[in-house]
Amino acid sequence: MTVIDILFRVDEICKKYDKYDIEKQREQNAYGDDLFARLYGTFESEIDSAFEKSERAAFEQNRAVSAALNAEIRRTKARLSAELPKLQKLAHKKVKGLSKDDLVARGDLVLALQERIESIPDGTSGGAKQSAGGWSTSTPSNNHIKFDSSDGNFDAGYFQQSEESSAFRREYEMRRMKQDEGLDVISEGLEQLKDLAHDMNEELDRQVPLMDEMEMKVDRATSELKNTNVRLKETLFKVRSTRNFLIDIILLCIILGIASYLYNAKAARVLSLALVTEDNARLGLLYSQMVLSSTVFPFRHGCGMYQASYYPL
Amino acid sequence: MSTSEPDKLMIKADKMTKLTLTRWNADWRGATDLYEQAAVAYRRANDYEKAKIAFEKASKGQEMLSSPWDAAKHMESAASLAKDLKKWNEVADFYRRASELYNECSRAQPASDALMKGARALEETAPEEAIKLYTDACVLLEEDGKEQMAFDLYRAATSLYIKLEKYNDAASFLLRLGLAADKCNATNSQCKAYLGAIIVYLYAHDIEQAEKCYNDCAEINAFQGSDQNRCAVKLLTAYSEADVEEIKRVAQSSTITHLDHAIIKLARKLPTGDVTARNEASKEQEEPLDENDLT
Repeated sequence: MTVIDILFRVDEICKKYDKYDIEKQREQNAYGDDLFARLYGTFESEIDSAFEKSERAAFEQNRAVSAALNAEIRRTKARLSAELPKLQKLAHKKVKGLSKDDLVARGDLVLALQERIESIPDGTSGGAKQSAGGWSTSTPSNNHIKFDSSDGNFDAGYFQQSEESSAFRREYEMRRMKQDEGLDVISEGLEQLKDLAHDMNEELDRQVPLMDEMEMKVDRATSELKNTNVRLKETLFKVRSTRNFLIDIILLCIILGIASYLYNAKAARVLSLALVTEDNARLGLLYSQMVLSSTVFPFRHGCGMYQASYYPL
Repeated sequence: MSTSEPDKLMIKADKMTKLTLTRWNADWRGATDLYEQAAVAYRRANDYEKAKIAFEKASKGQEMLSSPWDAAKHMESAASLAKDLKKWNEVADFYRRASELYNECSRAQPASDALMKGARALEETAPEEAIKLYTDACVLLEEDGKEQMAFDLYRAATSLYIKLEKYNDAASFLLRLGLAADKCNATNSQCKAYLGAIIVYLYAHDIEQAEKCYNDCAEINAFQGSDQNRCAVKLLTAYSEADVEEIKRVAQSSTITHLDHAIIKLARKLPTGDVTARNEASKEQEEPLDENDLT
């Protein structure tokens, strides 16, 4: 047998037993259409590489290299954690050829994966404990607002120290302190406002029944006043109308009296003039006028007039 | 006798009210009018003694005419004149009489107002009497269902007690305030009252009482979720840890600043006496307590 023959035979045998080669199968994505399995496979490979990196970082002497590796690991962890929900969704999808138990098992696998991701050492686990201790004494009503998982864990070896970076960090911390002071002032002001508001609330509650009583009393007083007004109007109306009548009569008499006085004075003068000139017509006219006036006017005036008229005759 | 107008009015009025052989019925209406005029004239002439007597008689006249409202009003004027004359026992009597007359008209608010005025007048000179008047005024308002108005009275009585250094009474009054506030759902006043009571106890250096008081108040729902509760907890823990700095810091906090003035003064003076002895005493007490809890 030649070497070539042996090679061909070995190849055939390998091909035959390839399906038992797990790693190869994984590489070839033997799972084919099963999305979950494919994704799961990628997850596993990424986690393994992350673990390798972390091991390398632990032994690395150069701080910068270890820092860079840790940063990479962290980024990978974050990415994997973000993609985990997708995996979870896929886990619940039914695929042909899979039993129900397998589905449940897949859910468990996803959870286990999550734990594995978080357990990857990335150089910050030691620092996290220190800062967590400091945060636990805050009041229970605060929510821990974290912007990213590395916030506040400033290990000595985390940054490469340089002039600018340390100055920058100092400025950052100063600003943070100023913000805290400002927030303190605001919170004090708000507390005062709250207390004032509470007191005002209670005061208003106290005044409500008083206002109701007042309203009732004022309503009663208004209606009584209206009543009184109406009656007063009626009374005044009656009184005024009678008085008007009397006033009218009195004024009328006075006016007639004055007019007659003037009229008589004028008539007497004209009559004497007419007699002197012996103007009969005028005399007759005057006579008739005097008769008219004498019938209208009171007796006294009439007597006076007759006397005046007879004298010249 | 005298030639002044009001004197003449008084004499005339007296004659009208005296029953003689010729007069079988006293003419109270006319007499009351004359008394009132005389009283006003006396007051204008700054003759307080005679004005007071005239007001008293006018009040009696109004009573005879069965108008208790006017009688009470005259009584109050007489009482304020007595205050100017510094006759304190008369002041108390007059205000009480006025309050009774207001009660006859079934007007509780003016009745308690009269008692409050009396108490305020007597604060300096006869504080016990003043406290009795305050208490009666509070009782009147509570019977009438107007606890809201009683808050001010309770606060005044509490500050009076604190001035007299009767801290237990002051604290019990604050708890009564809390009860009244509870009835009208005035939760802020209620919580402030409870915190005030705890501070008063601490000021009297009666820490066990303070803790007992806190335990009683902690069962009330309105108190549990309030700022004052947190402040009380901080204060009591600071006391039990004998941390003077912490006590001072809590006393400066804004929650305490919103309380009543008298209580703020007390809080600023905390801690009184020795705080360190607390730790050992509490530890000794804990063991018997534990046994009790197990059994």
